[in-house]
Amino acid sequence: MKRQEMVNESQDDLAHKVLKDIKAPADLGLLRCVQCGLCTSMCPASRHSEYDAREIIKRVLDNDETIIEDDIIWNCFYCYTCHSVCPVGNSVCEVNQILRQMAIDKDTGKKQIESFMSFADSYLEEGLGIIPKEHYNQLRTDYGKHWENLQENLDDVRNDLGLDSMYLLPEAKETVDKTLEAIGFKKRVKEVKDVRNRK
Amino acid sequence: MTEIDKFIPTKNITLFRSCLVSAEYPGVESSTKYVFDKLGVEYVIDRNQSCCTGLGHYYDIFDELSTAALAARNFHYAIKNDHKQYVPMCATCYAILKSSAKLLNEKDEVREKVNKAFRENGLEEFQYDKGDIDVKNDITHVVDVLYYLRDKIPEHKKRDISNLIIATHHGCHYCKVHYDDTLCGYRNPEIIDKICEVMDAPALKWYDHKPRHCGGGFRQRYANRELSLDATEDKFLSLHKENVDVLLVMCPNCQLQFDRYQQVLEDRTGDKHYFAILNIAQLVALYMGADPYKVLGIQTHTVNVEPLLEKLGIDYNPEEDTLHVRK
Repeated sequence: MKRQEMVNESQDDLAHKVLKDIKAPADLGLLRCVQCGLCTSMCPASRHSEYDAREIIKRVLDNDETIIEDDIIWNCFYCYTCHSVCPVGNSVCEVNQILRQMAIDKDTGKKQIESFMSFADSYLEEGLGIIPKEHYNQLRTDYGKHWENLQENLDDVRNDLGLDSMYLLPEAKETVDKTLEAIGFKKRVKEVKDVRNRK
Repeated sequence: MTEIDKFIPTKNITLFRSCLVSAEYPGVESSTKYVFDKLGVEYVIDRNQSCCTGLGHYYDIFDELSTAALAARNFHYAIKNDHKQYVPMCATCYAILKSSAKLLNEKDEVREKVNKAFRENGLEEFQYDKGDIDVKNDITHVVDVLYYLRDKIPEHKKRDISNLIIATHHGCHYCKVHYDDTLCGYRNPEIIDKICEVMDAPALKWYDHKPRHCGGGFRQRYANRELSLDATEDKFLSLHKENVDVLLVMCPNCQLQFDRYQQVLEDRTGDKHYFAILNIAQLVALYMGADPYKVLGIQTHTVNVEPLLEKLGIDYNPEEDTLHVRK
């Protein structure tokens, strides 16, 4: 009850910033959280790391803005288990996504996502996503030579399966590119890369 | 039997392509097509369609507005082609498309921003009108269609698969994101199990960690490998205890986690037990007589599927697999 009153007093606290975010569904039950902990009890990140789903919400409701720059928010798996079990319609998973976007507005978040930027490059070039190339060294070890053979022979494999090309039509690629320019995605990619290159 | 409270299409379908299916497990696409053709499902594949952004969205590199704009662009083609029913093969595509349609329908200012960006850049045709796509009824997963047509599946039986010990793993982004639209439960998901039942190959009713995620966790698999594998281990060891022959999935991300990492997980845990990983569409195709290499595409799997074929008494020519390194 006390928390509710506090929150109502100030509409520009962290909880309300989260609720006003483009990512927040209109019916997000953030302010209804009673700290029951069902989220934490089912959460893989809470089971295997210092991350605690319930604590994330507590800190947001306590207006603790340091959470935005806390590395712990980067441990969420985005599996939506918390989201599906919450009795009041809150979603730690979606709150986390919003906190990360707030972090990306600052340099801390940009540094966290820079090793995934080859996905953005692939999207800009082909309109398709890829496994991020920055991590290929580890993947070659983990997945073995078979995986490399698959990458090298993918077109033939698809052909043998009677599948059409996986690539977009040339004119479709063009409109994807225009869409990404128009909506500001290219600018965003450049900003992340600028932080990476500054290092 | 679960009551179906959403529209399940059998025609006017755009089979929505997935990046991971295309590049990692293309046999899921050919198997889905094979099964849809047998069942008389009418669908197209459209090379105007771009990636849903799903993986990039959950790597946090795509912002909500960009994802919504790309969804609006894709929706435009589906509507224009008179194949508005989006049926993805991937749980993440399914959830992202629904989330994007919900956002475009419900948030007027977002829709207007996206439409304004289109208008000002010569892309007027992509503008989205509120309600163009019905979140619940215009976006369904391949498993929804298979479940809906399940009684027709045995009519195409060519192989007996009843001796398999099967465990099912339901994609989190099918079950848990838009849980009101999930058929056959999301806390104890059973839609794949119900499809197995009609093939006389019942899956295990329960195993430890059954409703849990695969451990992939988007960025975690790459940026936080140990955490990701710790989480995968829970389910992996539970599957060993049950002596399963095959784990059935409905999402290429889960498939990748259990298939590409099986050796890593065995080395990590010191626990060894063979099991194959198949998408449910691949198993249905096999049941209907599909070729393991030319339709199922088992050569693209890291874990050999041949021991499973042997258990089923299915003939195969290992020379057709030129990707695995022979010892």
